[in-house]
Amino acid sequence: MSLLSGTDIVKHFGGIKALDGVDVTVGEGEILGLVGPNGSGKSTLINVLSGFYRADRGRADFGGSDVLRLGPHQIAAAGLARTFQIPRPFRTMTARENVALSYMFGRSRHSLDSARSAAGEWLEFTDLEDVADLPINQLTLHQLKFLELARALATEPRLLLLDEVLAGLNPTEVEESIRMIRRVHARGVTLVIVEHLVRVVTALSTQMTVLDQGRVIAHGDPDRVMQEPNVIKAYLGARWDHA
Amino acid sequence: MTKRGKALAGFALAAVLLNLVPTLVEATDSPGFYITFMFTAFFWISQAVSWNILTGYSGYFSFGQGAWFGIGVYTTGILAVKHEWPFLLALPVAGILAGVAGLVLGMVVFRLRKLGGEIFALTTLAVAFVLASVARLYSFIDGGRGIFMTSTPLPEFLGDFRTAMFRMTFVVAFLTLLAAYLIFESRIGWGLFAIRDDEQVAHGLGVPVFRYKMLALGTNAFFSGLMGGVWALQIGFVTVDDVFNIRVPLFVILMSVLGGMKHWMGPAVGAVIIYTLTDRLNSAGLEDVNQIIIGGLLIVLVLAVREGIYLRLRARWKLALATFLAALSVWTLADLGSSVIWDFAYASLLTVGVTLIPTRARRRTEVRSEGPPVAVDEEASTDRGPG
Amino acid sequence: MNEVLNQAIVSGLLIGGLYAVMSVGISLTWGALKIINLAHFSFILLGAYATYQVSNSLEIDPLLALLFVLPAGFLAGVILQIFFEFAKVDEFQSLIISFGLFIILQSITRTLWTADFRRIDGANNPYESMSFFIGDIAVQVAPLLAFAAATGIAIGMHLLLTRSYFGKAVRAIVDDPEIARAYGIDVRRVAVILSGLATSFSAAAGVFIASYQSLTPNMSLGWFGIVFPVVILGGLGNAVGALGAGVIVGVAAGIATTQWGPLSAPLVTFLIMIAALLFRPQGLFTRQGSA
Repeated sequence: MSLLSGTDIVKHFGGIKALDGVDVTVGEGEILGLVGPNGSGKSTLINVLSGFYRADRGRADFGGSDVLRLGPHQIAAAGLARTFQIPRPFRTMTARENVALSYMFGRSRHSLDSARSAAGEWLEFTDLEDVADLPINQLTLHQLKFLELARALATEPRLLLLDEVLAGLNPTEVEESIRMIRRVHARGVTLVIVEHLVRVVTALSTQMTVLDQGRVIAHGDPDRVMQEPNVIKAYLGARWDHA
Repeated sequence: MTKRGKALAGFALAAVLLNLVPTLVEATDSPGFYITFMFTAFFWISQAVSWNILTGYSGYFSFGQGAWFGIGVYTTGILAVKHEWPFLLALPVAGILAGVAGLVLGMVVFRLRKLGGEIFALTTLAVAFVLASVARLYSFIDGGRGIFMTSTPLPEFLGDFRTAMFRMTFVVAFLTLLAAYLIFESRIGWGLFAIRDDEQVAHGLGVPVFRYKMLALGTNAFFSGLMGGVWALQIGFVTVDDVFNIRVPLFVILMSVLGGMKHWMGPAVGAVIIYTLTDRLNSAGLEDVNQIIIGGLLIVLVLAVREGIYLRLRARWKLALATFLAALSVWTLADLGSSVIWDFAYASLLTVGVTLIPTRARRRTEVRSEGPPVAVDEEASTDRGPG
Repeated sequence: MNEVLNQAIVSGLLIGGLYAVMSVGISLTWGALKIINLAHFSFILLGAYATYQVSNSLEIDPLLALLFVLPAGFLAGVILQIFFEFAKVDEFQSLIISFGLFIILQSITRTLWTADFRRIDGANNPYESMSFFIGDIAVQVAPLLAFAAATGIAIGMHLLLTRSYFGKAVRAIVDDPEIARAYGIDVRRVAVILSGLATSFSAAAGVFIASYQSLTPNMSLGWFGIVFPVVILGGLGNAVGALGAGVIVGVAAGIATTQWGPLSAPLVTFLIMIAALLFRPQGLFTRQGSA
């Protein structure tokens, strides 16, 4: 059963076609790896699906509505959340307050009073309890990324888009993050992971979609997809297509 | 009792006590000016606090306070004088009209995504100018001739003019503070703070940003206009230049920055301090110096006292209260100030000065943000943002 | 009636040059340094009063005051920018601080010269009512000179920004200050020089104003309604745009005055600004998508 079904998504920026008719399907309970060389449109797709950019054409069915026609807050209410590659926490609030706020406005409208204590659950899940009440500027990048995660999870999403969650982390942090992603998935959240670390994504994902220059060039089983010649060509350039 | 219950009880108590003031003043045969002083303070409290609901909470900087104030003044002016409406009927219309004007502006400006904060600020400035021009041009509003408010009759239950002004301004200020408090401690307040920090992200997390911004703007405009409606009586002869000038927008900024834009009470404290200061400077014959001090104060404040005085006072409230009471008693008993107001002024200044003295014990970590400058003070950390 | 209109258009065109000079400074600092410096209005005012004072006291041609006003203005801009850099102010703070500075300078101006209207002594000032005629149309010399200055500034800034190293540095900083710094550009120095240039332009505007207008401290408030529309319409940081926008605003205000009276002029100019903000916030003269 597909949770998200996007067809013919187009997004221009001036003369550049960032997304040139993209189809994307995410099955319930899946982890979809979204990969592709730089500039292929991965982040643009995330931004379009989460309502941060308005698509020029196409539709994306999620839970009965076309999210390409909804505003970001409606998309959140429908159960679709995202994280940012460079964390964007609310800087005048603590981590706890960040998560509490998220919980208040997420899929179900929770009351202010219940929010602070509920936030604790998500903070524990992401190992942030110890730093939950410190000023944001005292958190490390790794912690901020987990905060992004906690905040997104507090909206109780059915589908979570992770935009380059592993970028900028050292190997230990990457391992911890992978474990965290698996735990999130185990809770029943469907994931779309945009990543540069192809090895990691291939290992994590149940399905993969490869983008190149705004178009889908492959989709399916991760190992098989990464062996396809045009995928290899897209990453390494035309000279290597005979490899 | 819940926190909210306690706060509301505090409000009720303040309401009861303050209403006794006019009676007290008469009973002690004190100058009527004391009442005027207080109701002018109420005026500024309402303007500053309502402005902060938009600018402080949401981060959308408004230069347009003069616009809402002006609409309020002219609405009661036109309705009560030119069309002879009962004043108390014209008054809510003043607030509503100003509020609607604010919402109209919001509909236009907030719908356009590409407009950043500074463009919003400029647009609010433009609105004030446009309204002034319109008022000047059209004689059904003003036409350059002004409106005499002195012939407006007020209902008898309000008392004489001064007491009536006291009561009306008090009610409006009270309602403004109540609104500011309720919003601050609610989801809407949280949502607005999130908008201030990062509107895009807030939107993506489910905050209905347009709706909340409209609410903040509308509330700001409504209360500003409502108080403006009352204030028309105090102005007496209402003219475009007198009403649509830079004074109101300037002072509300100053008062809010001084008092602190991060808390609903901040601007009220700032209003009392700034008003007291300017009033005393004026009475000492130093009007010219007034503006220079105000400008200088603004610069110093925005650099040095980032979270505003109110949070500082609250963090060191025992020290503040002790200083204030001690100074007040000393001044009053030693008869140092020529009037109660001078006593109050000196005591306040001393209190503010004392609480601003930096102590080595606390390390302040500064946080840069999009909206008003913020410092996260270890001691005051529970006041960071909402509840 | 047609003659009146033609006159209004020509006069509007010329005064548009003055508007451009008044606006180009604040436009540059806003566009390049992301600082809305409200003190610019004070610098224009002080430039005007300084001209008045110098011209009357030394009994010289007011335009000669440029020799003194330009460097003084430059210095003021430099000092202000150094202060902003030193205090590490963010956008909001710079707005408030410049606002405070504006209030202080207004007050000082009022104290020094009072609210009385001041006019340069006609004995020293040939430009006061100097004009010549093209057919039936009167051309006032003072605004014409301002127009010439505006054109010079526009051309000069355009060349500076496109052909010089300094100009390239400015454009790099506008794009991304961090990257610019990483490439070895002394962002501070560029910002300070730019600020100085901007302020000297504003002060120069004051010189032209003093040459044919009566001065009173509160006139600076009336300039808000001219400068911001010009800045928005012309595009932030765009000196050539400022000239074009100045002309449009000048002509619009002129026509409005003849059709509906002088009070309608600020209404018209602000409506133009609002329209620009809504439909083309980057200005008429800036390419879509640029800063």
